This record gives sequence, C-alpha cells and structure tokens, in this order.
Amino acid sequence: MKGSKGLTGVKYLLLAFFAFSVFLPLIRMLAHMAGIDIRALLASGQFLNALKNSLVVTTVSTLISVALAAALAWLVERSGIRFKGFFTLLFTLPMLIPSISHGMGLVVLFGANGILTNWLGLKGSVYGFWGIVTGSVIYSFPVAFLMLSDILRYEDSTPYEAAEVLGIPRGWQFTSITVPYLRRPLTSTVFAIFTLIIIDYGVPLMIGGQYRTLPVMMYQDVIGLLDFGKGSAIGLVLLTPAVIAFLLDVLNRDRGIQSFVSKPFRITRNRVRDGLAYLLSALVSLGVALPIGAFLLLTLVRKYPADMRLSLDNVRRTFQMSAGANLGHSLLIALFTSLTGLVLTFAAAYLTARSRGRLSKLLHLASLTSLAIPGIVLGLSYVLFFKGSLIYGTLAILILVNLVHFFASPYLMIYNTLSKINQHLEAAGQTLGVSRFSVIRDVIIPQTAGTLGEMFTYFFVNSMMTISAVAFLATAGTRPLSLMITSFEAQMMLECAAFIALLILTVNLVVRGLFAWNKKRIGRGMA
Amino acid sequence: MPKHKLVLEKISKKFGPNKVLRDISFAVEEGEFLAILGPSGCGKTTLLRILLGLEEAESGRIIKDGKEITRLAPAQRKMGMVFQNYALFGNMTALGNVEYALKKQSGDRILARETALRLIGRVGLTDHMDKKPHALSGGQQQRVALARTLAMNPDIILMDEPMSALDVETRLALRSEILGIQREFGSTILYVTNGQEEAFAMSDRIMVMHEGRIQQLDTPQNLMDHPANDYIRSFVIHNIRLKIESLIRYAREET
Repeated sequence: MKGSKGLTGVKYLLLAFFAFSVFLPLIRMLAHMAGIDIRALLASGQFLNALKNSLVVTTVSTLISVALAAALAWLVERSGIRFKGFFTLLFTLPMLIPSISHGMGLVVLFGANGILTNWLGLKGSVYGFWGIVTGSVIYSFPVAFLMLSDILRYEDSTPYEAAEVLGIPRGWQFTSITVPYLRRPLTSTVFAIFTLIIIDYGVPLMIGGQYRTLPVMMYQDVIGLLDFGKGSAIGLVLLTPAVIAFLLDVLNRDRGIQSFVSKPFRITRNRVRDGLAYLLSALVSLGVALPIGAFLLLTLVRKYPADMRLSLDNVRRTFQMSAGANLGHSLLIALFTSLTGLVLTFAAAYLTARSRGRLSKLLHLASLTSLAIPGIVLGLSYVLFFKGSLIYGTLAILILVNLVHFFASPYLMIYNTLSKINQHLEAAGQTLGVSRFSVIRDVIIPQTAGTLGEMFTYFFVNSMMTISAVAFLATAGTRPLSLMITSFEAQMMLECAAFIALLILTVNLVVRGLFAWNKKRIGRGMA
Repeated sequence: MPKHKLVLEKISKKFGPNKVLRDISFAVEEGEFLAILGPSGCGKTTLLRILLGLEEAESGRIIKDGKEITRLAPAQRKMGMVFQNYALFGNMTALGNVEYALKKQSGDRILARETALRLIGRVGLTDHMDKKPHALSGGQQQRVALARTLAMNPDIILMDEPMSALDVETRLALRSEILGIQREFGSTILYVTNGQEEAFAMSDRIMVMHEGRIQQLDTPQNLMDHPANDYIRSFVIHNIRLKIESLIRYAREET
C-alpha cells in the first residue's frame, strides 16, 4: 500500500524507543547482578523471611480484595439500589491517591495516637500483618471492582432465562453458568490484583512495622544502603509474578475479544437484596471516606490531638517546605507524561490495530510489556542504565519512566477503540484522493476523542500519585509531590503528609471531573 | 476493434507461498457492467485492491484508457470504490461524507457543496443529509457511499460486495438504483460478488473466478448455455438455472 514504507519506519522507531526505554535498562539491571552471589542472597534468612511475608500477606489481601470487589461489582450491576454512579465514584476514590497514603490513613485512624484509637479507646496495634492487609485491600479493591463490573456488565442474561424456563435451581445455575463464565476473567483479575499488591511498597512501608516484605526490603536496600546488586536481585524476584500475570492476561485476552451484543440483565424488585446492598455500599463508602476525613482533620487542626483549634498552620508549613515547587514538578511531569503518552500510545495502537504484519505483532507485545514490570524495578533499572546520561536527574527522566510505566493501559484503551473503527477508512480515503494523514486527523481522531480523554486522565492521575518508579530517580530539584509523603512520614510530620495526600486527591478529582464533563459534551455532540 | 476501457495483462499475486491470483488477463469496455463472481477466498477482493493500487501485483500490467497505471498511486488512478461495509466517515454527516474529499481536492467549498447536494439528491437522501452514518439504515449508508464515490467522477467504479450486509428488499431496491445510475452516468462498473443471482441479474458480462484463476468470462446467457468446464457447471449452473432465469425476467421487468 502506498505510504506503508512510512508506517514501517514509524514501527521501527517505536520499537527502538521500547528497546531504549524498557529492554536495555532491564538487561542492564540483570547484568548488574553478575558480580554478586545471588544464591547466597536468595538463601539468606532475611530474604526468605521477607519472601514468605510477601506471599502470605499478598495472598490474604488478594482474596479479601477480590471478594469485596466482586460483592460491590455485583451490587452495582445486579441490584436495584439507587445512586450507583455516586457509589462507583466513591468506590474508585482510593485510585486517586498514592498507595502510601492508604497505609497512612490507617496510622492516622488506628495508630498509637490515632483518631479512632483515642475516640473508641482501642487496644492493640495496627502495625504489622493486618495493617498491611487492610491497607492493601483499600489500595487494590477499586481496580478489581472496575475489572469485575466490566465483566458482569457484559454477561449475557439469556442462559439464565433458559435455565429458569427449564426449572434449574439457582445453585446449579451458579455452578453451571456463572462459574464457567467467570473462570477466565476472574483468574485474570486475581493475578492482576496479586501482582499489584505484591510489588507495592507504599502500604507496607508505612504500616508494616516489623513485618518486612520484599518491595520494602528492596526499597530500603536501594534508598538506604545504596545496595544496587541486592536491589536488582529482589527486583528480578518481583518480576516473576508480574510476568506470569502478564502472560496469563495476554493469553486470555486474545481469545476474549467478544463483539456480540449480549442481552443485559433485567433487575427485579427484591427488598432484602437491595437492603443488604445499601448496607454494604454504606460500609465501604464509610471505609473510603474515613481516612480522607482523617487527613482533613489532621491538616486543619493545629496539632492533633493536643491542640484542636482550627488553623492553616500545617498548610503553611507544608508550603514552606517547598510543596509549591514540588506541586509544580508534579503538574509538569503529569502534563508532559500525558501529552507524550497520548501521542505515543496513539501512534503505537494505530499501527498495531490498523496495519498487519510481524512488526505490528512485535510492537503490540512491546507496548504491553510495561504491564509486567513493577514500577520499583523499572525505576532501579533506569538508575543503572541512565546514570551519567543527559536526562539523568532532570524532569525528563521522570516523565520517561512514568510514560513507560503507565503505557500499557491507555494503549489497550485506544487499541480497542481503533480496532472497532471501520478497517477500510484509509483505503476509502485513498481512493478518494485523501491522504492517510488527513483521514487520521479529520476522521479517526474525532471519533476517538472520548477514549483520548480517558487516556489523558489515566496518565495524568497515575503520574500525580505514583511513588514507585520515581522514588529512585527524583532529586531535590525534580521531586514530585507524592514523594513528600514518604519523607514527611519519615520525619513524623503526619499532618503535612496528610495535606499532601489531600492535595493530590484534589488535583486528580479536578482532572477527572473535567474529562468526565468533556466526555459528556462529546457524547451529546455525537448523538 | 474498439479501444478497451481497462485491460489487465497477466496479473499475479502471492501472499507468502499462497498464490492468490494466477495470470489474470481480461478487458473491460466503456460503460460495461462486469461482475466478478466467485466463492470467498477466490482472489476477487485482492484483484480489486490491486486495481485500486492498495495492493501491488507481483507481475503483470494494468492499462486504463490506453495508458499503463500499474505503478500509479491510488489517488491518481481515477477509480472509485464502494466498500462492503460502507467505510463511511462516522463523525461526518451524510452530506459531509460526500463533500469531504471534494473540498480537500478542489478547495472550492461552494462547488463542492453544490456537487454533494446534487448527488445526495440523486441517491434519494436529501431528507437525511444531516444525519450521521449511525443514524442511517444499511441501505441508506450504502447510498451515501455510492454518492461519495460518484462525487469524484471516477473513470471506473469498483464495488466490493456492496450489498452483502443488506436485507433482500433493500438489495432489490439498491440494485435498480445502481443500474439506473450506471445508465445515467455511463459508468464502467466492476462488481465483486459471491451472489450468483445478483451477478446474473445485473451484469453485461460475468467473470467467474476460482482459486485465483478466471474460469470463464462471458455473458450470463452464454455462461448458462455453454459452460466452459465442470466447475462452471457445478458451481454456477447446478440447481439454480431455473431460478436465475426467472429472476432475470423479474429484474428486467423491474428495471
């Protein structure tokens, strides 16, 4: 086809981009381990203990998180309760703040001097195993909730109607229709959530106490001891579950593209069911709102609990410690990550969704690999690979690492949208004497505006709140806001840390709100 | 001997080890309606794409109006294409679809609008011209696609199974519409289909393809009376002869 040489050129360019931003840094990290005795390290008591801790705490958290998310997804998709949009917003609110603030929320509520500890006279400690489990559940259930809601929304109701007609009991319907339908997507969800939790260091760092997990060990080895070799070895171990989840996802996904229109469920009246649904929604909403309320209280009183007078002292103090400059860094990073991310994910997805060949398949896989690389591992590999280069220590490397870290999800969003657009548009354009570029600009981009907005939001929100990939790469002159939470916590300045969490939440809510409003506008324009 | 509108000489195409087209040679006359008939996978769509310049042939030549166009870019070939699934621009109205390429090429917005309005009227969509494709029926969408193609005033119109997604009634209506337009504009049409009755009812001549080769190229009548080989006999003639004859009568009376 005419112009396909240009397309091939762009494909090579993008593959080169991935080589330099993903594969070479990872290889560099693996090479770094050459000098150290990995076997001794992996057999050490410290490591084995952390590995065991990670596995146990992640397994328990995953089970609770997915079960809770399934219940919530079910009540949003299948029950007759009202305010579903509002509840969905609340259930996904934790996705807008860094994982470390979920740990902090628990400390503020239930810690030795916590708000609820004081108020209710609680005994016992929140630090340790159950603290990590609780924090990890809050951190991860919104993701599971969104995945499972999607699955339930597109389930076909016809088999259930057929079963009703045939008089098959509900229990049998569940085992013979629901379970087989859910098996694949549920497996994907469980692995995704397991990966999300096992590679997170935010929650356990804050609330783990003596209970050390692998990512915390890696974080402390690198940040505290500058032991890159050991860090790399742990990084390699952390890659394993992520790679397994990735492979499962890729294998599942290829067969999972179903375009048939299913018959949606009709929701019958059922007071008991809806009553329980309201109760659970209210409880979870409370669980989500409590930490945020606590952050607000901590920020706005002079010194909790000694001096409860309202004041903006904490806000002032936080800004005196360069929160303003760091907010600026964060906004710049988020904005540039979103803009470059938009261009690159669109280009990659356009090429893989709308042109065939081996290069397209390769590019598709490369675009998805970031799903398999924990942020903390990516960050470390960047330290080792880019040290001494021009971008090291600048905002550019933070933008690059975020771009790569968050590439896969927006890529998949636009890939799916582009795959659904008529495959002959470019050919039609060419026979009419309109170039491919014009068709992209005048026809394809306008039709994907909604998706582009979602992608922008995804890049932006995640860049605002990430601490994993950027932790090793930020300097005093480039530090993003989210990393201030870690340092404030280390200095026992929880009030300031709480204010930072609120600040990030506010920015993310505004960005999300803007795009939700814009999407509505686009939606009206299309009709 | 009349000068041919379009001549193909020994066009061949491989996809990997797979020979999709083998030495395809034929000629099309000015104002002719030629159907290319064959089962899916016989190479007919690839042939259209090569004619359009969307795909390159391994060997062979294409000559249009006495000039070789084998290596020309799609836009320079002056061929129009109507796609199976319409391939309309989803974010533009029916009118916008028809005038978009005109505006891009001539830059004369007023002339583009006039031409588009005339053609939208010709395909009977004046009442629907401000609707976007998703608000139009399949038949209406294909009419928009037809008008969009006509707007560029192509020398030859190629159609790739344009009615395969439509119901029977819409097909019959669109069939006479296409034939009417062909007569009015004197268009030369190459019409790819796997519907035998459609091919027999509409075409001046039919080219039957199988496994990348032309099995026979002749008028509908001659195909029935003198099938060239067993394939034609079993694929085209078997079981449908009577049906086709009655349909031809029906279509002739209709149009």
